[in-house]
Amino acid sequence: MGPGVGWYLIVAAILFGTGALGVMLRRSPLIVLLSLEIMLNAGSLTLIAFSRQQGNLDGQVFALAAMAVAAAEVAIGLGLIVAMARKDMPLDVDQASTLRG
Amino acid sequence: MEAGGWICLLAPLTGALAITLAGGRISRRTAGWVSTLTTFVAFGGALTAFVAAWGRDAHDRQELSTAYTWLAAGDFEVGFQILVDPLSTVMMLVVSGVGGLIVWYSMGYMAGDDEERRYFAYMSLFVFSMLMLVEAGNFLLLLVGWGLVGLASYLLIGFWHKRPEAVAAAKKAFVMNAIGDATFALAAVLLIWETGTLEYLGVFEQVDGLSSTTVNLVALGLLGGAVAKSAQIPLHTWLPDAMEGPTPVSALIHAATMVTAGVYLLVRAHPIFEAAVDVQHLAAILGVITLLAAGLIALVQWDIKRVIAYSTMSQIGYMFMAAGVGAYGYAIFHLMTHAFFKALLFLAAGVVIHHLADEQDIRRMGGLKDALPRTHLAFLVGTLALVGIPPFAGFWSKDAAISSTLALGGALGWTLYVGALAGVLLTGAYSFRLYYAVFHGTPAEARPEAHGHGHGEGPTSMLAPVGILAMLSVVGGLVSIPGVWHPFTHWVGESAEAVVEPTTAQDYLTSALAVALGLVGLFLARRAFQADRQLVTSPAAWQVLEHKLYFDELYDALFYRPAVALSNALRRNVEEPIVERSLEEIGSGTIEVGGGVGRLQSGLLRSYALAIAFAVAVLVVVFVAVR
Amino acid sequence: MGEFLVWVVWFLAAGGCLTSGVAVVSLTNPFYSALALIANLASLAVLYLLLAAEFLAAAQVLVYAGAVMVMFLFVVAYLGGKADAPWAGGPPLLRTAAVVAAAALLVEVVVVLGLAWGDDLSEPAEVTDGFGGPAAIGELFLTDHLLAFEITSIVLLVAAIGGVVLGTSREREAE
Repeated sequence: MGPGVGWYLIVAAILFGTGALGVMLRRSPLIVLLSLEIMLNAGSLTLIAFSRQQGNLDGQVFALAAMAVAAAEVAIGLGLIVAMARKDMPLDVDQASTLRG
Repeated sequence: MEAGGWICLLAPLTGALAITLAGGRISRRTAGWVSTLTTFVAFGGALTAFVAAWGRDAHDRQELSTAYTWLAAGDFEVGFQILVDPLSTVMMLVVSGVGGLIVWYSMGYMAGDDEERRYFAYMSLFVFSMLMLVEAGNFLLLLVGWGLVGLASYLLIGFWHKRPEAVAAAKKAFVMNAIGDATFALAAVLLIWETGTLEYLGVFEQVDGLSSTTVNLVALGLLGGAVAKSAQIPLHTWLPDAMEGPTPVSALIHAATMVTAGVYLLVRAHPIFEAAVDVQHLAAILGVITLLAAGLIALVQWDIKRVIAYSTMSQIGYMFMAAGVGAYGYAIFHLMTHAFFKALLFLAAGVVIHHLADEQDIRRMGGLKDALPRTHLAFLVGTLALVGIPPFAGFWSKDAAISSTLALGGALGWTLYVGALAGVLLTGAYSFRLYYAVFHGTPAEARPEAHGHGHGEGPTSMLAPVGILAMLSVVGGLVSIPGVWHPFTHWVGESAEAVVEPTTAQDYLTSALAVALGLVGLFLARRAFQADRQLVTSPAAWQVLEHKLYFDELYDALFYRPAVALSNALRRNVEEPIVERSLEEIGSGTIEVGGGVGRLQSGLLRSYALAIAFAVAVLVVVFVAVR
Repeated sequence: MGEFLVWVVWFLAAGGCLTSGVAVVSLTNPFYSALALIANLASLAVLYLLLAAEFLAAAQVLVYAGAVMVMFLFVVAYLGGKADAPWAGGPPLLRTAAVVAAAALLVEVVVVLGLAWGDDLSEPAEVTDGFGGPAAIGELFLTDHLLAFEITSIVLLVAAIGGVVLGTSREREAE
């Protein structure tokens, strides 16, 4: 009945890879945040796929919790970005590198 | 009986500790009295033990007394125990008695020295160590005493530590003794391995069960220790140098007691040596070689103390010879009489040296017969005893020792016999050469007369011990007269039964020959003296003998130079580049690594993310592989 | 017929998911990126429905697409020109390394899936009708996963406080 669980997993993997590339290659913090969201969603998709495979609802519960945490994280991240803009800092992750050794 | 033994052992230790702890608070003289009195208390203890042992029945005279278990490891156990038996009581009496007289003498000899207290502390330490050595009930405690006497010897030889020669001599003595200590320790380890115990009785019971290799190795190890401590060839070069120490030290340590420790060991461990007969005979052979070599070298020495030192080496050769053929009683007998007359000779020489304001070269002596009449008499008595003229002590003991080789028989016995008799000739020659040079003839040149001592030859504290020792040298030999009575050898024989026993005929024959040869030596010396020439005339022989048969040079080339070269090479190639440099390089290396790691922290968010991605990739592989 | 329809829906949803994902990462204008993400979230909701997670699909649309993304768009609008995000990628080494790492991850996942395709992933379990419904999930939240529930709420509280703090410090500086 429809595609097997494996197909969903492949989709999720590609999504995850895309998100990872975005985090590593983009310089604007906004885009980085968005890419992070994509990775989180990919993870949720994997969880839900396995949950369906096992017939166990724990995966879905986990995905729901992840969703809530992602929301919280976005809120703080955006707050940080706005703070950066307020200080007239360039919105560039490479510039925010004072925490160096 | 054991109470006497403990008192004897601990009294000198108490003395040494008391002097050390009191430090500058007691006067120098008091320190001397403390040391002398504690040594005489030790003698009292030894006497008590001796009398108590005498009162018991024969063969019931052994008493092992343990203070506490010192060392325990699994089945192996060693206690702090002393053994009071006929052999050890004899040694205790000799050590504490002669030791007491010599410490008393030191009070006069060392008076006025700035560091007298240190001297007396060391002397008491030495007496304690020597007593521990002879009273030990097991090999471990014997080894402890062995090491401690070596330490005391080092401290006392180098007593005048501002003299570089004294310090060098002390080091030489200590190092050569250390070689002996090492072989001894190895033998002890082997004993633990094979027999599981170090107690005398325990080991001796098991000797028959040991393989011949083991027994021979143990005997060799013990012999190595004995040879080093008793200054026999080849480990003898330290003894003449040890004369740098004060004269009483030479008398006590390097004549009467410490150097005889090797003989004591040979007698005490006789079951081991009897099982390893070849090693025992080796001891006898080394003894004879030493007595001849030392006798020859003594003919060319100019220092009064060195002549007597070589004489000591030679006489101990006789003791080794006796112990090596199995005549234990006679070996100990000669040990005792030798302690008397050799100490006497040293102390008398000390009076002479003191009188002449520390002059020791016999070429600058002469004609002291009138200035020091009593010392002259004492010295003559000592010399006669040494050469073995009846009825003095040396006659009885030395001739008995020599005739034991005759009793052994065989090729070995005869060779030893001839060598020993030749040695008697040499003894007569060198000892009377010394006597004539010091006391007869005309004074060499105007010399500074005695300083400070208004009373003639010397203070009572110096002359009284000399007198006592002179008397002992006269009568001390009468405890064993061949063919008549042998109480001494029977007494010692209970601890160490003799393997050979010369017949009365052999004894008389030997005595006759020995006395004759001794007198020949005397006459040779006298004639040479009267003709104002030396006994050794050939320049080549003089050269060889003067260089002490080139042993020092040999050891220098064989051991010292390679060792120095090796350590220099190691220092240049290992110590400096690797060890020293490594310290700096550890520091700079750490800094560099830190810097390198620091560069990883770029502050760039994206590189961190990249690192995480890579790590995850690797971890996934690991997880998959593990599954 | 039903099967075929499911496959079609799946392909459409999966394709939309992947395209919008690529779009999010590669567009220069952040506004367009945010919109692409909304499309991504919607596709994912469809996929959740296909996986019998109805509640989650609804929550995804309501919370994620509805609230979070709106917040995002607000901020993008507020930042205006400052939010421009050109592609300047950084040192070439970093770029290649990033691509390599992502590719490695992808390959690994595919390999693992391939290894497990036959046995472990063959038969999905039988599920009841209530599977993935709000009743079932709610019951789990209040029994087995109560702790996760509580902690998640604390996390949200902390985020709210954090947002307020970040906002307040801004105001002080403006004065």
